[in-house]
Amino acid sequence: MAYSDKVIDHYENPRNVGSLPKDDANVGTGLVGAPECGDVMKLQVKINPHTGVIDDAKFKTFGCGSAIASSSLATEWLKGKTVDQALAIKNTDIVTELALPPVKIHCSVLAEDAIKAAIADYQKKQQQDDKAGVPVGAHAGPTA
Amino acid sequence: MTPDPIPLRAPSMLECRNCGAGVPLDDHFCGQCDRILALGRHGDYFSFLGFPRRLSLDAQTLERRFRELSRKFHPDYFYNSSPTERLASLERSSYLNDAYRTLRNPAARIEHLLAIEGLPPAKSDEGGVKVPPALLEEVFELNEELDQIRESREEGGDRETLRRRLDAAREPIDRKRVEHERQIAGLMERWDAQSEAQSPERKATLEALRERLFERKYIDNLIATIEREAAEVRPDTAPIQPTGKARAEDRS
Repeated sequence: MAYSDKVIDHYENPRNVGSLPKDDANVGTGLVGAPECGDVMKLQVKINPHTGVIDDAKFKTFGCGSAIASSSLATEWLKGKTVDQALAIKNTDIVTELALPPVKIHCSVLAEDAIKAAIADYQKKQQQDDKAGVPVGAHAGPTA
Repeated sequence: MTPDPIPLRAPSMLECRNCGAGVPLDDHFCGQCDRILALGRHGDYFSFLGFPRRLSLDAQTLERRFRELSRKFHPDYFYNSSPTERLASLERSSYLNDAYRTLRNPAARIEHLLAIEGLPPAKSDEGGVKVPPALLEEVFELNEELDQIRESREEGGDRETLRRRLDAAREPIDRKRVEHERQIAGLMERWDAQSEAQSPERKATLEALRERLFERKYIDNLIATIEREAAEVRPDTAPIQPTGKARAEDRS
């Protein structure tokens, strides 16, 4: 099964590889895996707590070309989106954009799971901060 | 795949399409007319080969049973038979090959058992069972370390240092693999001890087996990455592998 040009492009020139400070209150981290192929994917978002907009997104994926391309594309899409818009991203959008074959659909599911996990992590952190009485945005990094 | 159910017969029985006699589900030949039976509704790989649903399976016994049945089903013996029988011989031969290949491999054997006991491996696109987060974190960190070793090698890092780092990275993975094998072996034994009884613990054993299988692919991938990297950082002047072959393979 041949990879589409878009998958190859993301695989050869992955966007936004790297990591964001995990302990930053405005950073959400999602770590997900697909046991049937042994893939592991980490996706992080940095959210501006005042606007709810995703300022930055990074990923690191150990897996096949489709898994790398799916997470690379996801980070591209996430930047500039609000949390609600980000949660509206469906794995089928990734499948369409990358023309993934049926056997690789689970890679796009993994990327969607990673987005949801990263945002859930961010929201959990914010709630904890609220409880602790820390003003929202007190941990905002230099870019916020 | 499954033929219409035969009325007024026990579900474990089938009907011989040649003489109409009732035959047990896992028989291969009709007890009355001796013809090969069409492969309609059938049991599982264990019962097809005449084994109980146990996980310990002697390799020689399996091999012997496979050869015996291969001879009996071989399409050459049905060259002059009816089309139905020729088809049955092909179908039984093919199913036998699948059964043999699956049961021969312990991990595949466990997967088959899970499937026939109603616990198929969770597909992530069906939102099934999730990988334990602690395992993911561990795997991610080990992968990152291997990735850094690769980057350092590509930038011309000191081979001896890289080899030491690789050995250090290999150690926890090797330990994990040994522990994994030990746990699988323990669970296999437990299942075999429980398999006669209708106890609720049987399901717990199967679920524990399924969770262990999750680890397997990750461990295999990590080991494959290490092996690839180890081949790259092999000594230039090979004091450990002083063979001409090892030097010839080192292209640096």
